[in-house]
Amino acid sequence: MTSVILLLGLAVGVLVGLLGIGGGVVLVPAMVYLLGMDQHLAQGTSLFMLLPPVGLGALREYWRVGQVDLRAGILSAAGILAGGYAGGLIAVPLTSRELKGLFGGFLMLGAILLWRKSSGEGGRSPVAVQDVADG
Amino acid sequence: MDSLRARDVGIFLAAAFCGIASGLFGIGGGILLVPMLVLLFSFGQHRAQGTSLVALIPPTGLLAFVAYARAGYVSWRTGLLLIPGVFIGGIAGAWLAKRIEPRRMRQVFVMLLFLLGAWQTVSAIKH
Repeated sequence: MTSVILLLGLAVGVLVGLLGIGGGVVLVPAMVYLLGMDQHLAQGTSLFMLLPPVGLGALREYWRVGQVDLRAGILSAAGILAGGYAGGLIAVPLTSRELKGLFGGFLMLGAILLWRKSSGEGGRSPVAVQDVADG
Repeated sequence: MDSLRARDVGIFLAAAFCGIASGLFGIGGGILLVPMLVLLFSFGQHRAQGTSLVALIPPTGLLAFVAYARAGYVSWRTGLLLIPGVFIGGIAGAWLAKRIEPRRMRQVFVMLLFLLGAWQTVSAIKH
């Protein structure tokens, strides 16, 4: 079990660096299905994993090539901190089943948002232009 | 200056929205923050990802985490075992992101995400 968890961390980490995300979005379902955790327990454990700066090594790579907006990043951190408290208060009293269903819907929404972005290049939105300009 | 301030406020509010998802679902929030920076604030893809990683450096989930920990919803051992892998994997992923064409990768990831979401929803309905 220990080695499964270690490998799972490594796999999630690759996504962290590749996509600039925290990784919880993959980690939570993985803990529910691979480790048989309850939904609340998986989410709390994911938040625990995110407390140390796990993305620091990845950030350093982006920083080197100048792909970081520090001001926007700091503002976002403040916003996430504030919003996170509200989200935690909403989640804890829900049943595991309700939370699981919500999480599933959220993943599909996230997928659709990301898809819109990655299938761009049609020139409809500034996004596509930006992606091209980025190389 | 005014437009800069408006942008600041906008980014803060967008991030607060991501924060609600972060606390509600036990995630970092980058999955929403990255597309929002691109779609609403015209960031380039790499820049949005690098900036999202900045937002993940401070323990932004702390307040949400406290709410879960109080209710006993934390597996400390699993969390500790995950941390080194995520850190090392993160460096590898960022290294890869600079070298590969990220669009295809993102599409594969999106598929994975959608399937996971559908699976979760179905299993929540069935139980």
